[in-house]
Amino acid sequence: MKNIFYRLGAAALLSTAFLFSGCEPEFEEDITLSKGPLDFSKYVSVGNSLTAGYQDNGLYLEGQVFSYPNILANQFSFVGGGQFVQPLFTQAQANGSGYLRLGGFSSTGAPILAPVTTNLAVRTDVAPLPGGRRLTKFTGAIQNWGVPGISVLASAVPQYGGVNPYFERLLSDAEVGQVSYVQKVVATQPTFFSLWLGNNDVLGYATAGGVVDPANPFGGITPTATFNAIYSQLAAGLSRNKAAKGIVATIPDVRSVPFFTTVGPTFKAGLPAAVPAVVALTKSAANRTVIAKNDIRVGSTGSALFTLTSTAYLGLLGQPTGRYWRDQAKAKYPSDAAAMDQELKRLLQNYQLDTTKMFGLSAENPLPSALVLDAEEQAEIQAATTEYNNIIKNVAAANDLAVFDAFTFFNSIQTPYSMNGVTYSPAFITGNLFSLDGVHPTPRGYAIIANEMIKAINAKYGSSVPTIDVTQFRAVLIP
Amino acid sequence: MKSKFLALLGSAVLSAGVAQAGGFQANLQGQKQIGMGHAGTGLALDQSSIFFNPGALAHLRQNGIQLGVSALNAKIAYREPSPGFSESTTDNPISTPFQVYASFGKEESPLRFGIGVYTPFGSSVNWGNQWQGRYGLNELTLKTIFIQPTISYRISEKLGVGAGFVYSTGSVNLQRSIPLTDASYNEAGVELDGSASGFGFNLGVFFQPTEKLSLGLTYRSKVEMEVKDGDVTFMLPTSPLVAGQFQATQFDASLPMPANITLGIGFKPTEALTFAVDVQRVEWSAYKSLRFDYNAGVRGETFSESPRNYEDVFIYRVGAQYKVSDIFTVRAGAYYDNSPVQEGYLTPETPDSDSRGVSGGLTLALSDKVDLDASFLYINKKERTDDASKSGGVAGTFKSVAYIPGVGINYKF
Repeated sequence: MKNIFYRLGAAALLSTAFLFSGCEPEFEEDITLSKGPLDFSKYVSVGNSLTAGYQDNGLYLEGQVFSYPNILANQFSFVGGGQFVQPLFTQAQANGSGYLRLGGFSSTGAPILAPVTTNLAVRTDVAPLPGGRRLTKFTGAIQNWGVPGISVLASAVPQYGGVNPYFERLLSDAEVGQVSYVQKVVATQPTFFSLWLGNNDVLGYATAGGVVDPANPFGGITPTATFNAIYSQLAAGLSRNKAAKGIVATIPDVRSVPFFTTVGPTFKAGLPAAVPAVVALTKSAANRTVIAKNDIRVGSTGSALFTLTSTAYLGLLGQPTGRYWRDQAKAKYPSDAAAMDQELKRLLQNYQLDTTKMFGLSAENPLPSALVLDAEEQAEIQAATTEYNNIIKNVAAANDLAVFDAFTFFNSIQTPYSMNGVTYSPAFITGNLFSLDGVHPTPRGYAIIANEMIKAINAKYGSSVPTIDVTQFRAVLIP
Repeated sequence: MKSKFLALLGSAVLSAGVAQAGGFQANLQGQKQIGMGHAGTGLALDQSSIFFNPGALAHLRQNGIQLGVSALNAKIAYREPSPGFSESTTDNPISTPFQVYASFGKEESPLRFGIGVYTPFGSSVNWGNQWQGRYGLNELTLKTIFIQPTISYRISEKLGVGAGFVYSTGSVNLQRSIPLTDASYNEAGVELDGSASGFGFNLGVFFQPTEKLSLGLTYRSKVEMEVKDGDVTFMLPTSPLVAGQFQATQFDASLPMPANITLGIGFKPTEALTFAVDVQRVEWSAYKSLRFDYNAGVRGETFSESPRNYEDVFIYRVGAQYKVSDIFTVRAGAYYDNSPVQEGYLTPETPDSDSRGVSGGLTLALSDKVDLDASFLYINKKERTDDASKSGGVAGTFKSVAYIPGVGINYKF
């Protein structure tokens, strides 16, 4: 028997020799990547907050790293793309402008958003700009020119560097207020570029609920002719008579983002039967508009949209309160009680308010315009968006550029869909696509956008740039 | 942060293995038969007839005991749909399907008793928790052990019948990621773990009209493996609101091990040479869906179900053995196995496709009483691309190969 076991052992040993020989499953076709006619050696991205990687109501290092231009540049690197320099915040100032994080949920399941206020890149050694506190500078030969807040209108204005801290941080002191954004980006002379600008020519107006601050020259809807002139000049400057190829993106329907779609349905459902309608201010003046309960948009019915920021005040419906106006005055003059009082009086008089009346139900104490986007305001935004998008597509055709139709894309994701076992929808927090500000995507959302752009580039130019595995990017972090 | 990003972009190294036959069937029930493309229903080769054809058992001249084991070494490669190009491939822990058969009975009696313990179904698939399809599956381990007491009766020199009762025991462990990331960037997940059992039977007829020709027909019934009160373990972000969405702690499930009907032909043109041909029909249509019933809500549902809708398939097997000398026999064979998985239903548990197997084997007679078997089987499944639109699986292209060496020992008394 001993002999048998010896032989058995030898046979087993012989068998295992096979295990160590190569036995990799191989695919029949090799992966073919190709840049086609494109030259990715110097890619430059031009755009606003979306291009910067802004999310969760702030710009911070993680968002910059997961910006769609950085993802694009990474994918371009497989087909001859060069280095891509972003104006990253340092590790020590990783939280950049500060942002919102999800701290938890209230007993009713409402998300509790907490501001992140440590490790900021905010400068305290200099006076703030009209657009906010200044940020630590990053000057030099950068390639991601995403500037949160910038519009087509603002991009042509040399003084804008003295207004917007995100633009100011990218400029030398000598350039601030002297050089326009268009001049800066055209001077980079890219071999390939992406251009996604124009959202803020309507979005600022939209997110402010149709209110234009008279002190902000960029708060309204940009006239179409102005948009056309600047956008055409910008695209032509980047293209250099088709020497550089690139991709432009259209402007999404602002009504497709959770910032406008989250609050209304809940608010409508919670309205008592005795309340058939609410009253609100409309646009920037003292005009009132009545919004019937059935006018509140739920899904694709109704029209009136309530902003995500309205949640803080809608609970006060029916109460004699002027809290919104006090908060506005306080935000403007945080440390000057007298000036604050003065401002409050001005607001009450300007909008002819009596805050002893029922908030939102009485015409004397209507809902503030900034919390509601009513049908009339939306019509203006719609009209402008359509016109801008036509301009963008025409400019793309004239300069032989690919188009990422963000308008169509963001409308297509209104219907929840599933990919690799993950459900995506425009739902706030749970939809995986939008970050905590309800307007800007999550890193996952940005990766999905980058893939859509790659597909548009490949379709236009016949290149084979690979897409990226979007599941490697996070959605909202859940405590 | 930058480096983390780049690390994420590198193609993940993943680990995977697969059961060697269509679906999760593992046709590795006798070392001699493996060497002949797993054909042998129409032959009375050895004690493994307890599995292959209980009707042939009583035609064996001697009683004996047989032990065998295979080392299943399989790999799957995955490539995401174009224009994506992420791939995942690598090793998998080797699984070891085994078989033990013993027969008893008086030498002159037409009656034989036998017992078989074998592992006809199983799967070990480990994709890891980084790959693209991790919300479908990280890891699946399915084990079954069939215990089959058997009785075989030799009606005449030409005809034998046999029947076995099957008690099956096993376990299932399934792990998948949940698309929720906590503040420390840990991804949520769930593990289902339970033991299963079931019953069935195995019937066979063996007919040997001439010295040179023999036929066999067997029916192995479906065995419904039932899991009762298996454990559900969630790994979740700590927020109570999230925990409230995932309250299940136990699950029930039922997985069908499909019925098989096999017709086998044996042909012996000379004393030393034997040919075997089997046609095996596997009634995979029993596998309609994978359903888990929970004892409490998971995202508001008390069950989850994803369609499988497997279809019945045929497996074609051919094999030959040649007795070189009294102590040395060699074998070779091949088979073709149609995939039961229909278009649109591919899943990462069984990224199955039509497969081709080639095998070889040998027997060394060490003494009158002791034989040593060795076999080697190579399986190559066709590359398959599927959008997985109907099964909620993972879209992409899969390719599997397996190398399966095996050894067995026979002791005759």
